[in-house]
Amino acid sequence: MFEFLAYEFMQRALITAFLVGGVCSWLGVFVVLRGLAFIGAGTAHAAFAGVALAYLLQLPPMLVAIAFGVLTAWAAGLLEEKGRMKLDVSIGILFTSTMALAILFIGLMNAYNAEIYGYLFGSILSVTPLEMKIIVLLSIVVMGTLLAFSKELYFIAFDQDMAEASGIPARPIFFLLLTLIAVTVVLSLKAIGAVLVFAMLLIPASTAYQLTHSLNRMTWISIAIGIITSLAGVLLSYWFDLPSGPTTVLLQTALFFAALILPQRLTRGPATN
Amino acid sequence: MTTHRAEDQPRHVVAFSHATYTLSHTTALEDISLEINEGEFVGVIGPNGSGKTTILRAILGLILPRTGTLQIFDCACENLRCHHRARIGYLPQKGKIDRNFPITVLETVIMGRYGVRGLFHRSGKEDMAIALQALEDVGMRDFQNHPFGQLSGGQQQRILIARALAQQPQVLLLDEPTTGIDTTTQHTVLELIRRLHRELQLTILLVTHDINLISPLVDRLVLLNTNLFADGHPKDVLRYDILSQVYGSELIVTDNGYVIGGDSHHG
Repeated sequence: MFEFLAYEFMQRALITAFLVGGVCSWLGVFVVLRGLAFIGAGTAHAAFAGVALAYLLQLPPMLVAIAFGVLTAWAAGLLEEKGRMKLDVSIGILFTSTMALAILFIGLMNAYNAEIYGYLFGSILSVTPLEMKIIVLLSIVVMGTLLAFSKELYFIAFDQDMAEASGIPARPIFFLLLTLIAVTVVLSLKAIGAVLVFAMLLIPASTAYQLTHSLNRMTWISIAIGIITSLAGVLLSYWFDLPSGPTTVLLQTALFFAALILPQRLTRGPATN
Repeated sequence: MTTHRAEDQPRHVVAFSHATYTLSHTTALEDISLEINEGEFVGVIGPNGSGKTTILRAILGLILPRTGTLQIFDCACENLRCHHRARIGYLPQKGKIDRNFPITVLETVIMGRYGVRGLFHRSGKEDMAIALQALEDVGMRDFQNHPFGQLSGGQQQRILIARALAQQPQVLLLDEPTTGIDTTTQHTVLELIRRLHRELQLTILLVTHDINLISPLVDRLVLLNTNLFADGHPKDVLRYDILSQVYGSELIVTDNGYVIGGDSHHG
């Protein structure tokens, strides 16, 4: 049953799943609490446009994806700060237009390119050794940054104005959070795909949100859900020949609804720490 | 007893001089000249959109004046990241904070220490002691491990006031501290604010739409209508001829004082 551990592609897939699941669900806590779901979803589209452009011009895909993702996340952040339109409208326009760019870039290519669709739908079993090295490196960068700035990130998620008013450099921290979203989206792109990556940021944290009243515990529960469902997704996809990204996301969705229908006293009981 | 005139002069903690603030190309406050002295308890009133919240945000350094100046503790705060900011505690308008935010009471109050500590410093024992003292000051020490979201509106306000106190501020800015809580609790919260003002010698600026509730408590009332419309002792500001110019037909005179029409849905 565990003969798959001998395959290098499976080893890479499991390590990638562990990292992507952990990083997404940890960062997801701040995304959910700060209310950036929409910005994050769009960042994934933009990162995909970056991948398409990279293939068109034969540049390193992850690098261009990070550039596209960061620029779009920052643009969305600026719109949130001084939007003249309602935020969902202006950000919606920004994101559909980056998707349009992605489709345009794909259309400009002479030949059908299957690898691009790997970034769109995710293909964790085809992560190359080089890609895994990049994923490990980026995961360390994101986790280190989260660790160093967690108190500031919690504070701006609670109330950005109050954080700013208390002397926290709230705006730089907000843009740091947007940057981390872009980097995390890109490091997860190959494993989960642009269409589904945002579920990984959103669902474990939203499930944890329903289960506790403590920031600290919400973070740990979210990370546990993220890692367990990612690993389970890879294993189920191997055993039952399913695509792993959707399997992971549907597992997370099932847990989310389970938490939703649990009686309140079982979910958010009084904190005791 | 010898008097020292220089020392007897009240010290300004906040001094606006012909300050104008614009928010997305609209003038929010125009030509404001206003000085708040150390230890004063000032109420800020005015109709919706008159700049009440803007004046607090200006003092917090969240926005800069387009023209004119603002001095805080004798510092011309031209730089938004002014180091005096940690000395100003702030209670934002209720409803801005997500009631379901997963956070315990102590986790909330300790956040008051984050800005004081600065980047890369974890909060330690001393911060914990200060946070617990702040909870004690607002009479909520027994609730330290409770989920913030499960407290009543009045208790939440007290916790957020404790969060501001954990900064060990000299000035406390309160934005509509009694909105959205029942009448009995409103009085408890105001009594707490009055006691903090007295015992901790805090300078307090309290923004409210409820002019009757606040006027017996404050030393001074400031009436905003984008400009500084009136400023003085409550009895000199709460006059029909003054209020009617600002509130127009919304002003209703009752036996218990003035009521602003359309406010009924607030309480």
